[in-house]
Amino acid sequence: MKKFLSLGLVRGLFWQMLGTAVGIGFVTGVRWLMKLEAWKAEPAVVFGALIGALFFLYGVGAVDGWLKWAAGEETPEHVDESGLGWRRYFGTSLDHKVIGIQYLVFSLILMSVGGSFALIFRTELAETQMQFLSLNRYNTFMSLHGIVMIVSILLGIAAFMNYLVPLMIGANDMAFPRLNAFSFWIAVPAGIILLSSLFLGGFDTGWTGYPPLSARAPLGMQMFFLGVSLAGFSSIFGGLNVIATVIRMRATGMAAFRMPIFVWAALATSLISLTATQLIGLSFQMVMLQRLFGLGFFDPSKGGNPVLFQHLFWFYSHPAVYVFVLPGLGLISELLPVFARKPLFGYRWVAMSSLAIALVGFLVWAHHMFTSGMAEYLRVPFMYSTLLVAVPTGVKFFSWVATVWRGKISFETPMLFVLAGVIVFLLGGLSGPPNATVSTDLHLHDTYYIVGHFHDTMYGGYIFPFFAAIYYWFPKMTGRRADEKLGKLSFWLIAPSFTVMSLLMMRIGLLGMRRRIADYDPALGFQPFHLMMTVCAFLTAIGVLVSFINFIYSIKKGKSATGNLWNSRSPEWQVPSPMPAHNYDRPFEVVGEPYDYGLPGSRYVKFAGDKE
Amino acid sequence: MSASTDKTTALRLGLLVFFGLALLTAIEFGIALLVNFWQLLLLVSLFKAGLVLYYYMHVGKLFQPDRDPDRESYAYKLATSRIGLWLFLISDSFIFGGLLISRISLLGLQRPELNQYLGLAVTSVLLVSSFFMNRAEMAMQHGDRKQFVRSVGVTLVLGVLFLAGVLGVEWRIAPFGPSDGVPGAVFYSMTGFHAFHVFTGVLFLIIVLRNGLRGRYSPEKHWGVEACAVYWHFVDVVWIFFYPALYLIGTVVR
Repeated sequence: MKKFLSLGLVRGLFWQMLGTAVGIGFVTGVRWLMKLEAWKAEPAVVFGALIGALFFLYGVGAVDGWLKWAAGEETPEHVDESGLGWRRYFGTSLDHKVIGIQYLVFSLILMSVGGSFALIFRTELAETQMQFLSLNRYNTFMSLHGIVMIVSILLGIAAFMNYLVPLMIGANDMAFPRLNAFSFWIAVPAGIILLSSLFLGGFDTGWTGYPPLSARAPLGMQMFFLGVSLAGFSSIFGGLNVIATVIRMRATGMAAFRMPIFVWAALATSLISLTATQLIGLSFQMVMLQRLFGLGFFDPSKGGNPVLFQHLFWFYSHPAVYVFVLPGLGLISELLPVFARKPLFGYRWVAMSSLAIALVGFLVWAHHMFTSGMAEYLRVPFMYSTLLVAVPTGVKFFSWVATVWRGKISFETPMLFVLAGVIVFLLGGLSGPPNATVSTDLHLHDTYYIVGHFHDTMYGGYIFPFFAAIYYWFPKMTGRRADEKLGKLSFWLIAPSFTVMSLLMMRIGLLGMRRRIADYDPALGFQPFHLMMTVCAFLTAIGVLVSFINFIYSIKKGKSATGNLWNSRSPEWQVPSPMPAHNYDRPFEVVGEPYDYGLPGSRYVKFAGDKE
Repeated sequence: MSASTDKTTALRLGLLVFFGLALLTAIEFGIALLVNFWQLLLLVSLFKAGLVLYYYMHVGKLFQPDRDPDRESYAYKLATSRIGLWLFLISDSFIFGGLLISRISLLGLQRPELNQYLGLAVTSVLLVSSFFMNRAEMAMQHGDRKQFVRSVGVTLVLGVLFLAGVLGVEWRIAPFGPSDGVPGAVFYSMTGFHAFHVFTGVLFLIIVLRNGLRGRYSPEKHWGVEACAVYWHFVDVVWIFFYPALYLIGTVVR
């Protein structure tokens, strides 16, 4: 019991409850002193949630180092955590590998929560008319599915950036370990606040939170805004850390064009999340201020303009989808050469294409707004800039196809997920240009076609590469191999059923099914398709569940795999698994190209003291 | 001997830059009164921001080659910390940029009805505080602890004075409240976000002052002072753009 209470997470949650109470009490007290009506839920709860999040960070110990520094005490560079065992995963740890796994587990938890929300409202959609959900509940589940999945994805990419980037570049940790821990731990109260909206009246705007609807939605809306704003800090500081790490901590000889592709992808992603994330935070905070203090940014009766919100919001939220997919596409480029035993085709082009996608991504946001009533003359420039994204993406596809061409491909679980990722992302990519083209988008906007397109890009660019990466680096993390049979079962449950579901989404979308609505006209004849999609959704969920069972089972019982299981050239596989506490005891030097698989006599890294 | 000459030069340069900034602010005010071309105001702001970035924030330090390639050395880590701080400032400038763009989009060439003299006064206070912040950093760099403590103290007082001027006076006497239409929304949100940063800067200054009094900093190791100074100047740069945007550009909303 005492051990349980000393866990950082438990202490953090206790402090969060305390902080929430303090915040609510404070606002109520001040209102009472000012002789206003003492109890007003919205300001009290918002302030309480904010203070609760700050108290959580204190309770979990994520700010201990800085507080010590502020008090003028010594703060040690390296903290020995080896005595803590498994308990260090539940408290503030400064080790990037521990933080990576914390991110990973929290991401998977949020993924199951968000996925369950989808199953709930998908079941409702299987039949016309409302069966067991109220309209408000439907909207809340639908909106929360979107945002919880997005936060889960942000955490998932952070997991692999944290775990892999220092290993791949030969660093012993991230550039700023304390900031790294802070970035993770602020996401936890953010997730809790986000989910609390379920119990505070929910919200019905979808994950975009457009005013004016969001300016009058129930209290849950504020929790959504606050939760996302806080989660944004996780993303901002995580990105900052990755950029500084990649600039400053690379091994000797690792010139820019000898970095692994995943590191390039992480760099491009971080550039977006460092800068653009502030704008979604700002847009959400502006609506919060409008609700709390009556600031009239988006209120036409006060001279405000709701379209401004969409500009600020999409300035982040479109580049955000590149944040979601770029690391996944990097992982695909990372794994294909390993399983095809061939050099990556066009390494430099692939490396630059990540940066190109990130930079072009900043100039495309208004393609979400062709129907919003924004200035007409903006449409065509944004159409062309959007279509331009297809060019660097095409470079990646060309490289992947050329890489596996005539390769000696072996179909282990990670490779299956990677190949499915390529195919599904192709579907998502090809269904994109119709949305970017003004004339077709006017018809496709807000239909299920968009939903299908988006799910294809997210599965192809994130979910499949993400699972591939878990299966691939599972031995590195645990020293054991994830079970192949269960892995393949999971794959064959997820991939076909998901593909069918997304194609059906696009089909009914083209026929006129609106997105985000709780009910549809039976005369449209969509009911059988909706039923099929619901079945496919459940099959996908079972597949994910099989993978979860596989991971839990294999941590303890999996086949031991301590060596270079996949015959990879990457430095982290040249040392035994699981990764030693301080990464590389002997520093390495980069002496060749990273992806020269199958070329005899070539090597990528040379460890200090190795024989020639 | 040479160390003290260095110090004198550094202090003199700081003073010179301050006079330049003060002159430009006066010119800015004059432009606003006489011709009110927003292009000219923008040009002056950019020039002021450039001066602060180069001479007070020492942006050039980011591009210096590493003196010590050893990863564990203080110098290497200091350079990494600098990059981290600047990345944070880049990130932060996006939020202020967003506020500015919202203001331009909603109000265009109109501005809220504000007390011109008060605006000039708080701007001057912040400018003078930046000068003293630079003085403090230079003093620490050359090992003059007494002057360091004095200058940090003055900066701190001026920072609090700025907050009092904006939050205590300007917010009270403004002829509109936050919920009275877009000018109010723009004014209170822009000054509010900025004041929050000044407030965190003041906290930072208190920490630096306290640690400085205890002798935690030396001419070789004073990253805390440098970071505080760079952050403080950054907040000043933000105000360099916010001041004309709120007080000078265009005509008053009626």
